[in-house]
Amino acid sequence: MSKLRAVRNLRICSKDCLCLYVCPTGATDTETGQIDFAKCIGCGACSKACPSGAISMVPYQYPKQQIKDELVITDLNKLIKNKVLEEQIAETIYKNSNDEIEKQLFKSIARANRLMAEDLYREAGYMLPQSKNTKEFLERLLEENKNIELKTDIEKLLNLLECNE
Amino acid sequence: MKKYICPICGYVYDEAKEGVKFEDLPDDWKCPLCGAPKNLFKAEAIEVTKDEIKDEVVESSETKEDLREMSDLEISALCSSLARGCEKQYLDEEKELFTKLANHYKNKAQNKESSDLESLISKINEDLNINYPKARKVAEEKMDRGALRVITWGEKVSAILNSLLSQYQNDKEFTKNTKIYVCDICGFIYVGDEKPEICPICKVPSFKLLEVKRGA
Repeated sequence: MSKLRAVRNLRICSKDCLCLYVCPTGATDTETGQIDFAKCIGCGACSKACPSGAISMVPYQYPKQQIKDELVITDLNKLIKNKVLEEQIAETIYKNSNDEIEKQLFKSIARANRLMAEDLYREAGYMLPQSKNTKEFLERLLEENKNIELKTDIEKLLNLLECNE
Repeated sequence: MKKYICPICGYVYDEAKEGVKFEDLPDDWKCPLCGAPKNLFKAEAIEVTKDEIKDEVVESSETKEDLREMSDLEISALCSSLARGCEKQYLDEEKELFTKLANHYKNKAQNKESSDLESLISKINEDLNINYPKARKVAEEKMDRGALRVITWGEKVSAILNSLLSQYQNDKEFTKNTKIYVCDICGFIYVGDEKPEICPICKVPSFKLLEVKRGA
């Protein structure tokens, strides 16, 4: 595995601040609580010293994602098609309703369907943002899109996410 | 004396221990662990065999779909999924960009089908009766454990949604006096005041079960 960087899980961090004492580059003293990735050299000293186990070392480059069978992808895509429609129907009911009890239920149902669709995509060939599938998806979006602002955003993503395949 | 098992969390209702027959429990009885309604419970002896799904469904799998035909909604869901992937890797800028794209395509999407309760219920049933069993069979044949995982979770969440909607049909205000939580990982919906310690479907700790507030 190539170079690593330290990340802090803010939910676990108990502010014992040992990372401050051991960091050789002062990457951990930020006001936001997250580590300054530009300064972090990936030495891992903070992660070893942290008494609450809130700092982990993550790689810049990930291994290739698992290859998926086309038949599996076809069936998962069929489920995705329905889940996004179910989300849309629930959301329409939510929007058209004036009843707070009804709105709450259908908002929850819409959210549940979106979460299921997202999860299905992860198993249908889009686990990693750095995968070839993601890259090709973004390139297609770029090609089809006419909105200048969105085109700029898609180009940014293509530049930021280095493809690992 | 029989045992009845909750299909969502695996809780066992043992008639011998409880001293009350399962069928004598009130209709609004719920799984004490995850809140699944009584009608989802299955008697222990009954086992559904995999062969019940006809072989023809696997053979009829279509050829690879052209990904260019993704709808706006699908593009949106893929972008929000990738936003979560970036979030997990602490890639904040990438996460924001994917979220922006996801919102754009969601707002752009047109309502093509009828948006009533009946069509929602019929789609969920199509998933439960056809799409999930078929996807499971293919994933088992291809030994794709990740796909089996997402199928199992999704099938359970869909069964819960289905039962919530039938309760809603009987009583539009059945959630009036309770809270609603949605698991931010698998989509499990918990209707009740005190959320379970872990999600009964994906087993994530309760802090990821987020309350959906009324009037928000």
